[in-house]
Amino acid sequence: MSVELAHYLTVGAMIFGVGIAIALAKRNAIAVLMGVELMLNGVNLTFLAFSRFGGAFDAADAPLAGHVFVVFVLTVAAAEAAVALAMAVLIYRRRETVDLDRINLMRW
Amino acid sequence: MLLGQVPEAVVWAIYFAPVASTLLITAGLIARRLFGFAFHDAWAGRLTILAIFISFLAALWALDSSIGADGEALGFEPHLWLNLFDLHIEMGVRIDGLSAIMAVVVTSVSLLVQIYSVGYMHGDSGYARYFAFMSLFTAAMLGLVLASSLLQLFVHWELVGLASYLLIGFWFHRPSAAAAAKKAFIVTRFGDFAFLLAVLLIFGKTGTFDIHEINELALAGALSSSVLVGFTLGLLSGAIGKSAQFPLHIWLPDAMEGPTPVSALIHAATMVVAGVYLIARMFPSFEAAPAEVLDLVAYVGGFTALLAAVLGLVQTDIKRVLAYSTISQIGYMVLALGVLGYVAAIFHLFTHAFFKALLFLGSGSVNHATHTFDMRRMGGLRSYMPITYVTFVIGALSLSGVFPLAGFWSKDEILLDAWKYDKLLFVIGVIVAFMTALYMFRAIFMTFWGEYRGGEEPEAGHDDFSTHPHESPPSMAFPLMILAVPAVLAGLFALGSDFTHLIEGSLPAELRHGKPSIEGIVVAASLVAALAGIGVAAAVYLYRNPASEAVAARLGPLPGIVERKYYLDFLAETVVVRWILNAGLQRIADLFDRYVVDAIVNGIGTATRLAGDGLRRAEAGYVQAYTSLFFIGIVIAVVVVALLGTDVVSR
Repeated sequence: MSVELAHYLTVGAMIFGVGIAIALAKRNAIAVLMGVELMLNGVNLTFLAFSRFGGAFDAADAPLAGHVFVVFVLTVAAAEAAVALAMAVLIYRRRETVDLDRINLMRW
Repeated sequence: MLLGQVPEAVVWAIYFAPVASTLLITAGLIARRLFGFAFHDAWAGRLTILAIFISFLAALWALDSSIGADGEALGFEPHLWLNLFDLHIEMGVRIDGLSAIMAVVVTSVSLLVQIYSVGYMHGDSGYARYFAFMSLFTAAMLGLVLASSLLQLFVHWELVGLASYLLIGFWFHRPSAAAAAKKAFIVTRFGDFAFLLAVLLIFGKTGTFDIHEINELALAGALSSSVLVGFTLGLLSGAIGKSAQFPLHIWLPDAMEGPTPVSALIHAATMVVAGVYLIARMFPSFEAAPAEVLDLVAYVGGFTALLAAVLGLVQTDIKRVLAYSTISQIGYMVLALGVLGYVAAIFHLFTHAFFKALLFLGSGSVNHATHTFDMRRMGGLRSYMPITYVTFVIGALSLSGVFPLAGFWSKDEILLDAWKYDKLLFVIGVIVAFMTALYMFRAIFMTFWGEYRGGEEPEAGHDDFSTHPHESPPSMAFPLMILAVPAVLAGLFALGSDFTHLIEGSLPAELRHGKPSIEGIVVAASLVAALAGIGVAAAVYLYRNPASEAVAARLGPLPGIVERKYYLDFLAETVVVRWILNAGLQRIADLFDRYVVDAIVNGIGTATRLAGDGLRRAEAGYVQAYTSLFFIGIVIAVVVVALLGTDVVSR
């Protein structure tokens, strides 16, 4: 049994699903960030699968489009992780917690 | 026709001269108050007199041109005044026989009244303000008379109402004057409202405000009879309010609270005839309407004439006698219009303006001497004030319709028209003529004959008038003498047909009737009625000279009813205002406001607040909750697209 497009997409969706579940359910800000990273990587996998197997458009037109996107996503994700982790550290210093429910200074 | 055709600018000058004097006096007063500008009070009087003199000369020129044109309109094009999308409102002047005569009447009477006022108002603290108001009033009245469009007429109609409010309440520190001013303004407003509706109705149906065009359309049968009935009834209501006809006549007697020259100008010669003028101006529309409308006009006039004449009999205040006489005489004019006596009505308006202004100014002169209007405290004044006496008698004879004074001719023409149209109205007219003579000569005998009864009791620090009433100063006596001339001679126009020709020139050709032929019985009846009235007055008040209580006792309950003005004031103030308006309409409006309008407003507020309360819970600040909903939304959207196909959005 060879590995087809559908398999990659299924795995990507699963990673994405696990990511969103963590992002939505966890109270710890660091965990939420990890969930977000998982979601991004689920999407990356999907990009690569489409790029490799061809999808809605002819891969000959832009053979590396998916790969380029993935590089972009990785770059942005790294930046995002750096900023978000810095914020988490700052918040922890100030409030001694990274529980999202308790970070409610701006709530109405 | 002595001069050339009057240019349009001169016609506008008739109107703008008093406008200018109003503005100048107002500016002067403001400058005096704010910057200490030395605006002397006497300037106000001179400015007003000068302005109205200019108007008078211009009006004479306009009349001259109008005579040259046989009373036909002089054909000044209206000017575009307001241009708003499809709405084009035009303003213009219309000079024809009717408006030219009116302009001359208004300016001439106003001019004499202003001259008289210089003496009468001398030393009053509101001297300059008085002349500003008088200029404003004259300007408004002239604007009304010269208007070529109904809207323009309506605006000046309201300005006249405003000026009369200001002038009646001129001595506003007296509560009775302030109340009278309010009453006059509010009562006439009932009529004005109907007038406004009529104007809007006709504008909605014809798309024009132009008086001439509306009349043409009405005559051409372009308007349905129901529209015409609504239109003419609205106009009639306006006229009833402004001209103090039953049942809105109640404001006029109270309006005597104003200074006497105001009464002479506004409540005798000009403002109150605005209603008559309005009906005359729109006369073709009235003729085009079903005949019942004109019948109603005639009977409103006849009934008012009779009702007010009876009231005139029981007054002890000389100005109130004249006030009721005015209502009664205007009823006569309205009656004349109702019986197709277009020319007769305007002719009576013309003569009445002079002799009634004369009578009012005479009563003011008497008041100046005795400081009272109560005839029971007068008497014997003929030896003290000969000029006032003679001119007052001339005015009274003219009003009573004694041959050959002015009132005789004009009253006679009305009676002739009534005789031809409806015998009942003719009988009413004769009875009114009898009573007119009776109450006028009752007033004369009480005021000028017998012994002097002391005038107003002297207050501390004032001159004692109780022993030496004196003739009025020349500035007051002079207008009396001038006015006596037309009061005698103005009727002679009836001898030729020029006046008829001139006035009828303002009507379309098919409505002209020419002069009515003289009927011997009519002339005889009116003369007999007038002389009988004078005779009865002399018999009762000169030879028997009874106390009014004794007369009242003879007549049983009638005088009581009459003295209470047939309970009409009660009806108006208690029943209409207090019960129907206050307790009824106002209460309904109050309940509606509280339980419908307020309920809607408060309901919107409450609903918003409740909705906010509920929705607030969704906005808890839990970012993860928002994100969950967002994600669920996306899933739903994807499922929908998957089930229904990709073109679901464009579908």
